[in-house]
Amino acid sequence: MSQTDVQHLMRRLTRVWTEFESRLLTVPIIRDARESRLRLADYRMLLKDHYAQVLDGSAWIARAASSVTRPHLELRSQFLRHAVTEHRDYAMLAHDYTACDGDPSDLDAARKNIGSVALSAWMFQRASQPNPFDLMGAMFIIEGLGQWFARTFAEAVTDALSLTDEQVTFYRYHADHDPDHLNELEAALGSGILDTPGMADAIVETATVTARLYLLQLEEVGHYG
Amino acid sequence: MRPVYITGTGAFLPGEPITNDAMETYIGELGDEHRRLGRATLRRNGIRQRHYTRTADGQITHSNAQLAANAVREALTQGRCRDDRLDFLATGTTQGDLLVPGFASAVQAELGIANLEIASFQSVCASSLMALKMAQFSVQSGQSEAAVASGSESACRWFQPDFYAESYRDNPDPGVEFLRWTLSDGAGAVLIEPEPAASGRSLRIDWIEQRSFADRFPACMYAGMADNRHDTEVWSHYRSPGEAHQAGALTLKQDLKLLYQIFPVWVGYYLEVLDKHGIEPGDIDAFLPHYSARSLGREMERLLEATGAMIPTERWFNNLETRGNTGSASVFVMLDDWLRSTDPQPGQTVLCFVPESGRALAAFMHLTVV
Repeated sequence: MSQTDVQHLMRRLTRVWTEFESRLLTVPIIRDARESRLRLADYRMLLKDHYAQVLDGSAWIARAASSVTRPHLELRSQFLRHAVTEHRDYAMLAHDYTACDGDPSDLDAARKNIGSVALSAWMFQRASQPNPFDLMGAMFIIEGLGQWFARTFAEAVTDALSLTDEQVTFYRYHADHDPDHLNELEAALGSGILDTPGMADAIVETATVTARLYLLQLEEVGHYG
Repeated sequence: MRPVYITGTGAFLPGEPITNDAMETYIGELGDEHRRLGRATLRRNGIRQRHYTRTADGQITHSNAQLAANAVREALTQGRCRDDRLDFLATGTTQGDLLVPGFASAVQAELGIANLEIASFQSVCASSLMALKMAQFSVQSGQSEAAVASGSESACRWFQPDFYAESYRDNPDPGVEFLRWTLSDGAGAVLIEPEPAASGRSLRIDWIEQRSFADRFPACMYAGMADNRHDTEVWSHYRSPGEAHQAGALTLKQDLKLLYQIFPVWVGYYLEVLDKHGIEPGDIDAFLPHYSARSLGREMERLLEATGAMIPTERWFNNLETRGNTGSASVFVMLDDWLRSTDPQPGQTVLCFVPESGRALAAFMHLTVV
């Protein structure tokens, strides 16, 4: 697999990423924050929905890790490293929820919104396939999106609700701590996984579906079916 | 469809070049903090000199229409085109001299050329490529035999201290000062015809691609409202222009945070254009971007490298440092300088890139030297 193949796949993934990243500003909760229509209750609802979602986040990555077989064990470790970082997220979300006058016991019953249900089901389905390297692209999208969303949203919500840093630790953390996802993805794509026939197309497809569902869970904040 | 060639280019930059140290003589003084923001902007944009349609004692030297007409004259002279051969004039500018009527009418009046079809394009930096695309189609379809497109800006009128609300002296804004210390005046024009010039180099227009992302981004560079959160509160809805002025609704503004959020779609669109036309960065002999490499930021540069889409920097040509950022004029002023200062060879390809932060659009033009 040549460097050019990796670059061309990166182009396709970057287009997926920029298309969906730029749609963030059209998501109602972000538009409301920008246009000063947001209430603290809306922000708490988002924190609660994200709490329910990230609980699943570390689980599907762990599932993906367990689906990796020889000779790709190095990539298994990479999935596991991601699971660890996801794991820490819900503690920060609980902290912010409490700092915004939320009752922490609400979080015990937090449900995934209908967008999160779809996103989570999709991720578990992909993660259960043998050697689910198509998820590398999805992780790039989620983390790239996650980071840009975090920055956009942290600024908008802080301005709109005059919040203190203590109330926005989760989004601030993700906005400020920017591990080099690009290096990691390039290394993974260059490691031979693209030798599997059809893998490049599968990576792009999984990334595209994941990006759409990621936006869906933001559009569906507070909707539980 | 006929092929289309740029057979003449013209640039007009009014007066003498103004150095960074002399700028405030022309744009006026607002305060120490404004100046500090201005100095920081100059360090980032790398501009060393620019031109203004003003003298040191505040006299206006040219209207926007006069700037455009001068550049068109230059393009006609260079392209050896008689006035009565010209049949189409398309203008691009951020803001004409008058609110009504359209800008192309004023430019035609300045030129004094009869029997023209005209079209006025008002946007920001990419308005000149909108005008050129109209001219291109007009010649391609056989409706026009000789068309000219202009881009021109008289930016410094926005920057005079009394143009701002009184409260602005106490509330300097980084986005406002960014524009005040970046934009300047000038005009550029290109003449296009269905055949290359009999002598000298012409540029075949292979394609012009443009896309707007206003469906998802709020206004980023704007004038006519006090802020970009509420599109409906526009200057003409105040009780009087005076009230709009004091509310800051007549100030030219830039939302710098939003600008940063727009960068990725420009990169994504660029990758799409490469794909669509099957070109690789190595195929481009000269890249003429309206912005300097440094303003792109390390993150986007890294993305371009990872996607193998970075055009080698030695092929970049940019004259913002000496000509200033002349908005819609810039792409034609660059092209004019590139043709004069390099030795273009037949077969060489040129890619022009004009990102417009106004409400997030980007335009590309691909040319081949003949």
